[in-house]
Amino acid sequence: MENIEIEILLVEDNPSDAELTIRAFKKSNVANKIVHLKDGAEALDFLFGKGVYSTRNINNKPKVILLDLKMPKVNGIEVLREIRSNALTKKIPVVILTSSNEDPDIKACYELGVNSYIVKPVGFKNFTDVVSKLGFYWLLLNKSPNE
Amino acid sequence: ERKNAEKKLKQSIKELKDYKEALDESCIVAVTNQQGIITHVNDNFCEISKYTRDELIGQNHSIINSGYHPKEFIKNLWATITYGKVWRGEIKNKAKDETYYWVDTTIIPFINKQGKPFQYIAIRADITKRKKAEQELNELNEHLELKVIERTAQLETVNKELESFSYSVSHDLRAPLRAVTGYANMLEEDYQTKIDEEGKRLLSIIKYNAEKMGQLIDDLLSFSRLGRKEMQTTNVDMNGLVEGVLIEIDKVTKHQAEIKVNKLHHIKSDYGLMNQVMINLISNAIKYSSKNKTPTIEVKSKLVGNDLVFSVQDNGAGFDMRYVDKLFGVFQRLHTQDEFEGTGVGLAIVQRIISKHGGRVWAEGKVNKGAAFYFSIPQS
Repeated sequence: MENIEIEILLVEDNPSDAELTIRAFKKSNVANKIVHLKDGAEALDFLFGKGVYSTRNINNKPKVILLDLKMPKVNGIEVLREIRSNALTKKIPVVILTSSNEDPDIKACYELGVNSYIVKPVGFKNFTDVVSKLGFYWLLLNKSPNE
Repeated sequence: ERKNAEKKLKQSIKELKDYKEALDESCIVAVTNQQGIITHVNDNFCEISKYTRDELIGQNHSIINSGYHPKEFIKNLWATITYGKVWRGEIKNKAKDETYYWVDTTIIPFINKQGKPFQYIAIRADITKRKKAEQELNELNEHLELKVIERTAQLETVNKELESFSYSVSHDLRAPLRAVTGYANMLEEDYQTKIDEEGKRLLSIIKYNAEKMGQLIDDLLSFSRLGRKEMQTTNVDMNGLVEGVLIEIDKVTKHQAEIKVNKLHHIKSDYGLMNQVMINLISNAIKYSSKNKTPTIEVKSKLVGNDLVFSVQDNGAGFDMRYVDKLFGVFQRLHTQDEFEGTGVGLAIVQRIISKHGGRVWAEGKVNKGAAFYFSIPQS
């Protein structure tokens, strides 16, 4: 638990969507070190080394955070807000990956400084396509800030 | 000579008498001196004010003041007539029994040789009934205004409910649908050596239907979103718009249709919505004439009275006129998925948009002999 090197932090409450996403990443060979957490509260504990993650090395940061919006306890927008208002985490690229195609959500996320907003496609092939493109872009193409 | 003068005088006097009688008969008349003391009233005045002649003569005209009019009003009245000018207006007066009446009033000053008024004659008509009707109308209007505000608030609530409903549909229905497609695919991929041809066929039907459902959800959502959008009206160049539509369609669909676009009228309309209308009508025309060897489509417009009528015509599969009423219904189709794919919402969207513009849609067709779709928009 202490020194798992993490590339992608996937915060997703829907187990089917999570399984499909992880499978797509694995298939495209883009990333191996994926941590999947099921709600926003756990994600914040993980990032800031609280609760069950108090022994984790918090300087071991994900290269990109994939965040769903509608989650129980702490939702995606609140997680985004916390991430962006904390020096430790505010430079980590965050990609919202959600079913919601509604303007108010999109607007709110960009106002909070999200890097990207992707609407989960319904079709499976499209979904795997999108996920592998995401992985390729954020992990291989995009330059992360050196920290 | 003297006899002539006398005769003329008698005639004048008779004429004046006749005038006076006519005046007394038809109007309410009062004469006051320059201080406003009543010197003469006719019978109509007595009748409407409910005072007797004796009670009025020698009294100040202010005896019938109702107190309704502001000081400025009265000041203005006196200023006008003491200056020697005629005053016209509507006045509310009080009768002897404390009831009120309205009169349309003209006050004429009589000017002496020095140019100053020495008496005033007020000629009036009873407009109490009209004033009452006016007041009732105002009250009715106010009441109506309140009702409108109330109804608008109700409608806004319903709209908000619809918005959250479509939001729900958009989000919550898509997730399980994605899972169905996703897991069917995973099954196919991971177990392809263990599933036989029949199994694969069953799986493909699962996937196909899941995809259809996704399409239906999207179409239903755009249909509902339509009603909530605000219209932005501009003078739309329909030829330019259709040109853009054809380019868009060519990007997505390969087709052989020959499309003839005549010179089209400009329409005062919402550009985005009109774009949607033409995309739907032309895509339909292309789709339903795609089985034809030489599919041809024509777009034209004409001015009929006060309406601009547009038409999109094709020589394709057409339809049975017996079912023409079903054409524009949501999810209503006149062909099976095997014949032509589609969800049946395209025309419903067209109708909704045209309705929003205050126009109407209709269609004509013959099985296998093509169809023509029309919409008319009134030129405001």
